[in-house]
Amino acid sequence: MGGLPTNRTVNGFAVDPANPKIMYVAMRDRLFKSTDAGDSWKQVGSELKNLASVTVNPKNSNEVYVATADGKIFASADGGLKWKAQK
Amino acid sequence: MRGKFYFWPLMGMLWFLKAGAVHGQENAGLLLSAASQDSHQMNMSDKKDGESFQHVHALAMDGAGKAMFLGTHVGLFRSDGDGHSWKKIALSAKQSNFDIMAVTPDPKDPKTIYVATHEAGVFKSTDEGTTWKEINTGLGGPDVHGLAIDPNDDKLHAMVREKGEGVYRSTNGGGKWTRVDDGPGGEVKVLTSVNVPTGMGGIFLYAGTAEGLQRNPDCF
Repeated sequence: MGGLPTNRTVNGFAVDPANPKIMYVAMRDRLFKSTDAGDSWKQVGSELKNLASVTVNPKNSNEVYVATADGKIFASADGGLKWKAQK
Repeated sequence: MRGKFYFWPLMGMLWFLKAGAVHGQENAGLLLSAASQDSHQMNMSDKKDGESFQHVHALAMDGAGKAMFLGTHVGLFRSDGDGHSWKKIALSAKQSNFDIMAVTPDPKDPKTIYVATHEAGVFKSTDEGTTWKEINTGLGGPDVHGLAIDPNDDKLHAMVREKGEGVYRSTNGGGKWTRVDDGPGGEVKVLTSVNVPTGMGGIFLYAGTAEGLQRNPDCF
């Protein structure tokens, strides 16, 4: 699991049902994405903080959502690269 | 050990995990503390009933990719507008403030949703969240911290904490649970079935824990 911090709590985890090798890990102040079933990870959405959970739209793999611990929702339409707050 | 898996024997089961997780529990404490502080500062303008979520544990979309569900410390909420506004869903007539630990929609049947709670086990709805029933036969305890569904055969795995701790499996939609494993080390935050074949007849279970991300073949 190269690239994923080892001593941190994983609050959220989501997998792309269309391609289960694509997965996301939400730690408190960082979101990570893997495209090889967790062998390697890269941080995405560096502006995202206080994360509690992450999910992928089962009907549109590019659509990814995160929830912060206090209930704010952020959405990505490009597989986690760019994010915007849902207001 | 950095960047490599190693085997962590746990009373007969092997969960793969990464090294250096010994401080995970401390981090979990910091997380709760920080989240509590944040909850006092949040802006609730996006929530109609003005009630605090207090602390979010889970976010999930239904199998149709339309409705979004938020599992919180004070109950289950549903949004039909990409998280713009939320409506509270009562799991029972007696109690609407269950501490929701996991929300697991059935990927094949958009009407079916499973929810895990901190204090009352697992609930199931087969009408898109309108009505719910407890499905706890065989479950060793009420505190369920993770709930995974196998996208191939709808097999369920539930991670029970404290009383009756362990991983429980149901092969009939939650009608009956059987304890099958001790589960990963560290407090489990999320449990997910990942449709990657293990080569041994099953797929993988991934667990997000206070000690990092762990995975294990589910064919135990």
